[in-house]
Amino acid sequence: MTISRMLLGAASLAMAAGLAQAESHASATADKRIALSNNYAGNSWRQAMLQTWEEVGEQAVADGMLAAADAYTTAENQATEQAAQIQNMILQGYDAIVLNAASPTALNGAVKEACDAGVTVVSFDGIVTEPCAWRIAVDFAAMGEEQVEYLATRLSDGGNLLEIRGLAGVFVDDEISKGIHEGVAEHDQFEIVGSVHGDWAQDVSQKAVAGILPSLPEITGVVTQGGDGYGAAQAFKAAGRPTPLIVLGNRQDELKWWAEQRDANGYETLSLSIAPGVASLALWVAQQVLAGEEVPKDLTVPFLKITQDTLDDALANTPEGSVANVTYTLDDAKQVIADAK
Amino acid sequence: MNILTKPWLWSCVAAALAYALILGLTSGRGAGELAYAALSFGAFAAIVGLGQMLVITLGPGNVDLSIPATMTLAATLALKAMGTDPGTAVLGLGIALAVGFGVGVANYALIYLLRLPPIIATLAASLIYQSLAIWSNRGLRIKPPEGLADFATGRFLGLPNVTWVGLLLAIVVWIALERSVWGRWLLATGQNMRVARLAGVPVELVRASTYISVSVFAALAGYLLASFSGGAALNMGAEYLLMSIAVVVIGGSSIAGGNSNVPGVWGAALFMFLVVSMLNSYGAGAGARNVLTGAIIIGIVIAASTRRART
Repeated sequence: MTISRMLLGAASLAMAAGLAQAESHASATADKRIALSNNYAGNSWRQAMLQTWEEVGEQAVADGMLAAADAYTTAENQATEQAAQIQNMILQGYDAIVLNAASPTALNGAVKEACDAGVTVVSFDGIVTEPCAWRIAVDFAAMGEEQVEYLATRLSDGGNLLEIRGLAGVFVDDEISKGIHEGVAEHDQFEIVGSVHGDWAQDVSQKAVAGILPSLPEITGVVTQGGDGYGAAQAFKAAGRPTPLIVLGNRQDELKWWAEQRDANGYETLSLSIAPGVASLALWVAQQVLAGEEVPKDLTVPFLKITQDTLDDALANTPEGSVANVTYTLDDAKQVIADAK
Repeated sequence: MNILTKPWLWSCVAAALAYALILGLTSGRGAGELAYAALSFGAFAAIVGLGQMLVITLGPGNVDLSIPATMTLAATLALKAMGTDPGTAVLGLGIALAVGFGVGVANYALIYLLRLPPIIATLAASLIYQSLAIWSNRGLRIKPPEGLADFATGRFLGLPNVTWVGLLLAIVVWIALERSVWGRWLLATGQNMRVARLAGVPVELVRASTYISVSVFAALAGYLLASFSGGAALNMGAEYLLMSIAVVVIGGSSIAGGNSNVPGVWGAALFMFLVVSMLNSYGAGAGARNVLTGAIIIGIVIAASTRRART
């Protein structure tokens, strides 16, 4: 009896302490202002990202977690322009800058200035290498490798692959492609017989694939980087070729096409990409850093995978013409931080 | 006149050469498929190229840098208005062309009223058009009505429908340049604006109509491209900025103005598609591909301009 009472007392004490701690964290950042420095807004992924930031940021301000969560986007997607933007944010007195960077290295100078001025910098998606900043990176190479592994489970005989890459010269493009090539080296029943740059855009991919198809043998699989699967499918259709197994990238038009194909002929594939909501994760990580939590500098976000079983749900939850999304909560951020420790 | 002195010849020769090189790799397989793809995708470059050619013909400093934003804005608004409903294709076309007209008027107003250099005026205005496109639909890709999509991807007498549109526009532009008073005015303005004005050419009217034409052409290309590729995207026009200027220069028109060349634009548009396809087919990496594309373009421009100098 006494023991259980003691336990109960201890538990309630612990709970009260936990609550007090949560309270203090909320109030600790109630007067903190966070700015989003974004380098590009010109596609549906970035638009969904900005929308998620807006929603989560407004809610955080309304709940008294933060004083401000403002978003700024540069017009020309230039590192110099973004460096100037970061310098302005330092002068404006923001407590933290959440950064989707135009370049992994070119912004290091500005990021260092921010750190020296006592500003917390959290980079995500387009990360920076400056050691004083936090990085929320996606394991892009694993994303490439996973595609080939999936193809290996579906096409045991292997075959010819067409690789659609992203924007030449961009870190993400190199990483995903590296992963794909590592995957192919491991599963040597596959051979990449053609590679084009689709710039993560359906119309550019369609054009590039239409141009290389006549010179290619029969293609059994297409490995992609997201935003290019639907264009590839259109190009195969226009050329009168059978539709190969195309790995998709979570765009609504791709998912819709997949569902149509599945209903028509039982088409099966896999779709994976990073959710634009990763911006909300970065917001909470910045909040945690400001709250004085110990946060490791390198964090990893899982990518959002859609399979045959989850296709209908994902399609129902994705607005027409947008991209499948997840909004991360403060608890998700704590989980990611705990996993990295 | 010797055929070799025609400046448009070189872009056509280069296109044919790139085509032959791809077929050499595939030993003739896929010849029809490749030609069809080149004609489809070349049509978009040709349409914006024709507009850019008219502007460049106006003389040094005249160029429209708002083409990508105009394409995006026109396509976004048109597809949003159509909302995938059948029977709205004409409404969408009307909206796209109206957007093009409005953009052209706005561009010219900036150039004329504020006396801004066209490069600055159109570049600055393009940021506004792009922002309007973002604001109006936040980048959501709305599918075109089925009938319109079928038209844009369909064929007539073996040629893609978009190619017919591009060829028709090329003929209209050719007639306007070679057979109409307006064309003579345009060439005179491009060769020497002061002389043209003193000779009684309504120079400002010519400039206004030219800046409106290029925007209308860009809007039409955006409308067709969005219908062709399954929806408007915010970055859909991006590659057509340099492309529109490249096809004019490769096509043999004088970058200094006063001399335009309609067949060359089509030759260059086909070439730009085929050269990328060729380098992709031969497995060239992105770096090598860009370097080679640049080198080939310089080569063609030199070939075309030295031939012109000799005449």
